[in-house]
Amino acid sequence: MTGDSGQVIETTGLTKHYGQVHALTDLDIEVGDGVTGLVGANGAGKSTLIKILLGLLEPTSGGARVLGHDIATEGQEIRRLVGYMPEHDCLPPDVSASEFVVHMARMSGLGASAARERSADVLRHVGLDEERYRPMGGYSTGMKQRAKLAQALVHDPRLVFLDEPTNGLDPAARTDMLGLVRRIGSDFGIAVLVTSHLLGELEQVSDHVVVLDAGHLLRSSATGDFLEQTGSLLVEVVGGTTERDRFGEALAAAGLTCRPRGTAIAVEPAPAGVSVHDLVRDTAADLGLGLMRLQPDRRHLEDVFHDDVPLGDPIPGGGPRG
Amino acid sequence: MADRAGVIHDLGYRHYDGPRDGVATIARTLFVTGLRHAFGLGRSGKSKILPFLLLGLSTLPAAIVVGVVTLVGLSDLPLTYAGYTNQTQLLVSLFAAAQAPVLFSRDLRYRSIVLYLARPLPAYVVALTRWASLTTALLVFTVLPVLVLYAGGLLAGLDVSDQTTDLLKAVALLLLVSSMLAGITGFISSVSLRRGFAVVGSIVALVVVPGVVTAVQAIASEEGAEQVGVAAGLASPWSLTNGLASAWDAGVEVFTPPEGGWVVAYLAVAVLIAGVGLAAIVARFLKVGSQ
Repeated sequence: MTGDSGQVIETTGLTKHYGQVHALTDLDIEVGDGVTGLVGANGAGKSTLIKILLGLLEPTSGGARVLGHDIATEGQEIRRLVGYMPEHDCLPPDVSASEFVVHMARMSGLGASAARERSADVLRHVGLDEERYRPMGGYSTGMKQRAKLAQALVHDPRLVFLDEPTNGLDPAARTDMLGLVRRIGSDFGIAVLVTSHLLGELEQVSDHVVVLDAGHLLRSSATGDFLEQTGSLLVEVVGGTTERDRFGEALAAAGLTCRPRGTAIAVEPAPAGVSVHDLVRDTAADLGLGLMRLQPDRRHLEDVFHDDVPLGDPIPGGGPRG
Repeated sequence: MADRAGVIHDLGYRHYDGPRDGVATIARTLFVTGLRHAFGLGRSGKSKILPFLLLGLSTLPAAIVVGVVTLVGLSDLPLTYAGYTNQTQLLVSLFAAAQAPVLFSRDLRYRSIVLYLARPLPAYVVALTRWASLTTALLVFTVLPVLVLYAGGLLAGLDVSDQTTDLLKAVALLLLVSSMLAGITGFISSVSLRRGFAVVGSIVALVVVPGVVTAVQAIASEEGAEQVGVAAGLASPWSLTNGLASAWDAGVEVFTPPEGGWVVAYLAVAVLIAGVGLAAIVARFLKVGSQ
């Protein structure tokens, strides 16, 4: 990944107050290449942060650099290099996606023929086929989101801000959109800052996750760190709940603390000196049960909110933990 | 990308490393697009009907006048160029009222303005460019029939230098009135985002108010209170333009013609209206851009 000087986004003490409302407070974050998830409840300051980074809003204090350019003085240069997909609807209903994306490409400085060529390419990548020639007023939410994404990518930006790209999508469309976001970061080689209030989504696509809460930074670390191993094991044997219970009781008898979870058994870290893996294997062999699954128990991104956040007492500037 | 080994049926994502235009070129592209959209070009077939119908209606009398001048062999046009626009001002007002929302309401109403502002053009340039598109569209709309008249007049053998002087006076006045109308209707359309409200608001400003002003001027002239009529003329873009045309001897009759210091005041107020309209549009775009 990029070093300190090559960060895609760097903010230092970024603060934005609207009168009494503190949208962002003393935010220090660094975002590198790949897909970065920006997570927070509605009103946590995600959209405000993006607008400041685009140079559309002035911060109350603090500063930021995007792709090496200062937001205070080089907003125009930044807007040349980034793409933005807003959260809200922003498509005129009376033009087709094809015409609109070409126009937006030209507004980013592409010549007429380059704009047409890139639009056709990008619309294909986002999966708008024949419907690209129809007025956008008749589009489904999924198609609108694709058109919005296409206009953000058409000028081949080096960084895209995707504000809630999965908003309003049904599960299948949501999966498609997340796949696209993943591809933009990996195959297209464009850095992505994607926001969502659903942690589970970002867990699937992000390399790095930044968590905002009421304008404060809660955490910023690699997705892997969030999904850190708890030291527990998940074990599953062939059969149903009867087998599961038999196996669990045997493990408990051998001195392990276990509890059922779904069709599996969660085995808590054993006291020192006990090899859990060996014990599980031997117990299964003794009972004649087939071991189906044996894996480290990972936490989910949601746990950041459930466990780590003492409500009303956010961790200011909290760095990577665990 | 040379280093990207794609499979044959999928080229993969291709980067763009060609030239990128600067702000001036992007603004020019936006200006041309806006000018075309004002006439419904590059938009649906339906949206071409009204602008071209109005353009036809305002050009038709010019064609008829030219025909009459040629057939009858008149030595002069029955009306001046500035006088012609005075006669068709209702059509000009309707064109401005109907087409300003196309340039100013759409982006704001559907919030696609955000996509413009996330691109290199600063908000004030977008606003200025929109205003320039509408002003130019209005200028084209008003100058075209005048040019038909001029060309016809010359073909009918009228004096070239007289006609050219008259034409230039008219074009200067049209430029002034176009920038005023664009400032007024542009601002109204950028505030009232519903097309219907914008059209009605613009018609009030461009048709009803000038109508009231003319009535006041007529009464003032009748009652001998000339100064009241002249002062009332400051209240609408059309009365300003017509007052200036009359003071400039461009062939427009008004009930209470401005004289002396009033002419300067008329010109100053006309420039002020255009300037304030433009500034208000810019302020509006800047405000929306930061939301």
